[in-house]
Amino acid sequence: MSLEILELQSGVEGLFIKNNRFNTTLVSYNFYLPLKKETAAENALLPFILTSCSNRYPDFSRLNYKLSKLYGARLNASTEKYGDYQLLRMTISVINDRFSLEGDSLVKNASELLLGLIFEPKCENGVFFEDDLEREKRKAIEHIKGEISEKRVFAKKRLIEEMFKNEPYGTPKCGTVEDVQAITGESLYKAWKNMLSSGFVRVQVVGSAVPDGLFEEVSERFSTVDRNNVCDCKISAPAKKVSTPKTVTDYMDVSQGKLCLGFSTTLCGNDDVALPLMVMTDIFGGGPYSRLFSNVREKMSLCYYCSASAIRQKGLVTVESGLETDNFEKAEKEILNQLEALKKGEFSDFEFESSIKSITDSLNTYNDSQNSIDLWYVIKVNNDSLYTPEDIAEKISTITREDVINAAEGVCLNTVYKLLPKEAK
Amino acid sequence: MKKELFENKIGEAYTKVILDNGLKVFILEKPQYNSAYALFGTKYGSIDTIFNVDGKEIAVPEGIAHFLEHKLFESQDGDAFSKFAKTGAYANAFTSFDRTCYLFSCSDKFYENLSILLDFVQSPYFTEETVNKEQGIIGQEIRMYDDSPAWRVMFNMLMAMYHNHPVRIDIAGTVESISKIDYNLLYDCYNTFYNPSNMFICIAGNVDTDTCLKQISEGVKKSDPKEIIRIKPEEPDSVLTDYTEQALEVAQPMFCFGFKESLDSPEKTVKEKILTSLLLNIISGDASPLYKQLINDGLINDEFDNEHFCGNGYSALIFEGESKDPKAVSMAIKNEILRLKNDGIDKKLFNAIRAGMYGSSIRLFNNVESIAMQLTECAMNDCGLFDELKYLKAITIDDVTRKLNEINLENSVLSVISPKN
Repeated sequence: MSLEILELQSGVEGLFIKNNRFNTTLVSYNFYLPLKKETAAENALLPFILTSCSNRYPDFSRLNYKLSKLYGARLNASTEKYGDYQLLRMTISVINDRFSLEGDSLVKNASELLLGLIFEPKCENGVFFEDDLEREKRKAIEHIKGEISEKRVFAKKRLIEEMFKNEPYGTPKCGTVEDVQAITGESLYKAWKNMLSSGFVRVQVVGSAVPDGLFEEVSERFSTVDRNNVCDCKISAPAKKVSTPKTVTDYMDVSQGKLCLGFSTTLCGNDDVALPLMVMTDIFGGGPYSRLFSNVREKMSLCYYCSASAIRQKGLVTVESGLETDNFEKAEKEILNQLEALKKGEFSDFEFESSIKSITDSLNTYNDSQNSIDLWYVIKVNNDSLYTPEDIAEKISTITREDVINAAEGVCLNTVYKLLPKEAK
Repeated sequence: MKKELFENKIGEAYTKVILDNGLKVFILEKPQYNSAYALFGTKYGSIDTIFNVDGKEIAVPEGIAHFLEHKLFESQDGDAFSKFAKTGAYANAFTSFDRTCYLFSCSDKFYENLSILLDFVQSPYFTEETVNKEQGIIGQEIRMYDDSPAWRVMFNMLMAMYHNHPVRIDIAGTVESISKIDYNLLYDCYNTFYNPSNMFICIAGNVDTDTCLKQISEGVKKSDPKEIIRIKPEEPDSVLTDYTEQALEVAQPMFCFGFKESLDSPEKTVKEKILTSLLLNIISGDASPLYKQLINDGLINDEFDNEHFCGNGYSALIFEGESKDPKAVSMAIKNEILRLKNDGIDKKLFNAIRAGMYGSSIRLFNNVESIAMQLTECAMNDCGLFDELKYLKAITIDDVTRKLNEINLENSVLSVISPKN
């Protein structure tokens, strides 16, 4: 296990995460751009259209055939939020050359394929082709509309939208249906140009070696791009503290309601700042030893799940649960009671130690998963140190009960979101 | 005790042991990994609803295997979660149609965790009070699935496909059926199905095989192998009904389109399963002509997928996804199968898909969890971990064509979840 980071061009980093244990090699391209309502939909569409066809593979069916021939190489596209930034991700993973039955250079071929998709899109005179654009727009719109299907995910998304209304973080990560509809072949081409010129870029490799010539080729491709105005990716605004929390309720034809609570905190930023928040959140609503699991679920039998999670880039803590309508009040009260208990230091050494051990144990498994270790470093850019999971595990072991209490004291309810069955109206 | 070592050219090896009490143990060492994953399972799932206890046939409430899974975490001396909390391991369990598995993964204190796992799975402790407490929790779990269109579309299809086979019932049962569960019934189920001869332990990761085997041999209760008599109702080859629809809060219709397969024997062989997966990808995989047509016609999106759904007494070829017009998709699938039956399978596509499946088989060994899960398949179906790699090499286009010709186009079910309002 070792790390090697290279500045390939201004704001373009190559990170080699050497790890010999896998049968595959993974290459990921990560572009970070400011998250804004005006550009979210266009940016979000880019990873999908770029990985569906290119000059060399003008139709997705031929591209998929090629991937299958490369022993089922996996090409993936996604758009995520990273604090107040939009993260556009394109990855490929392929089995290592030693498994090839015909002795071909699978890793190099796969790596070149992805590079070609990103830098040589299927365009003509500065415009994406109509049929490709319409296909990807349709899929994007169906995806956005389809978010309603899984109510737990949908409720959390609505909480974030409401809690960060009129702020960049409140922007849906793939934009809105209307914004997708408005995309043209020309505007998308401009967005692609902008991604290359102003996105902060991290190209990561997880495997036993960097594909032959990859970093040199990336450097070469960016050398012709004007990189004078690159997204610095440094500051995300922390979740705001409010004096009166707001409650938002939606009604739907469902049999189980969802309760989501959003909290601001006083710890926001990189690992060094936010680790106590991570431990506090875990004691609050992490594993089965947590306050929410053992009280709201086990003691009160109110729900199947009641859990808390934190986003350090925003200093945000959320709690989610699925409940009978009649139990909403009881559950909300108990969740807040448990938070109060943490503030007063009313948690046992068992809960504290269980949390530290659980976090540490799980950190030490990261290097056993190629995707997890890739994502681990993807969210460590610019002002974050490139701590390894083991580094963080070591830091976690120095967190004290007082750190947890301090972190809890800064936690303040901002928004309550309820998704209720229609008959509760 | 019977012990065997299996090795493969790709550099992986595992040990299979059958203890005197019938317990099967599979272990694959990954010395270069930090973590390990262990699973203790029983061949007992939601489909085991009628069986013999001491010569007497009993029928148990739907969802009881899953209920038992929840309750087994509790012992007289505290619950298993608290014990795992002391080591830092991640612990969980799941119940499916034909199995219940208890598992943990960890990067430290593996043998301590293994001891907790061995102990709690073998120490049932059910009381009236703890059973009552669980009704509320599982009731909410059931409600959660009632609202999940992806779950409903699948179960609605199974209910339409099967007349009598218990695969048609929901794994967690219903709020009503679980209200009939009491601690005596739980003990009946436990004593029938949690006999070591019906169970297996699968381990993958940074462990030492001999140390694990010693600990397991010493930690497993002595008992005589027990014959389990499962009673399965007669299931006709035909489907019950060919179309089913439910309205839920979704943006566009979701569908699950399946062909019911007739079975000569209760279980499909590994070779048959691989053939079927290959065939499904020739019909509708993302490199197939059908996939291209459906995407270009605006009828499917990236959610589209296929699956060979099979187990003891059931087997179906399934196509699922979202579509503005599920009926058009189901017609297109039928037409493509007909076309393939008439024109034959494209050799290039066959080779490409076979190469892709070979890659997936290699990829499986990247991850200790996926290895352990695959080992449970070996335990459940009496097959080898490297069988897929072996059969993939041997499969010919004629084999797949034979499989293709077995599909009965008339024996299908289309299940649709339509948007409310």
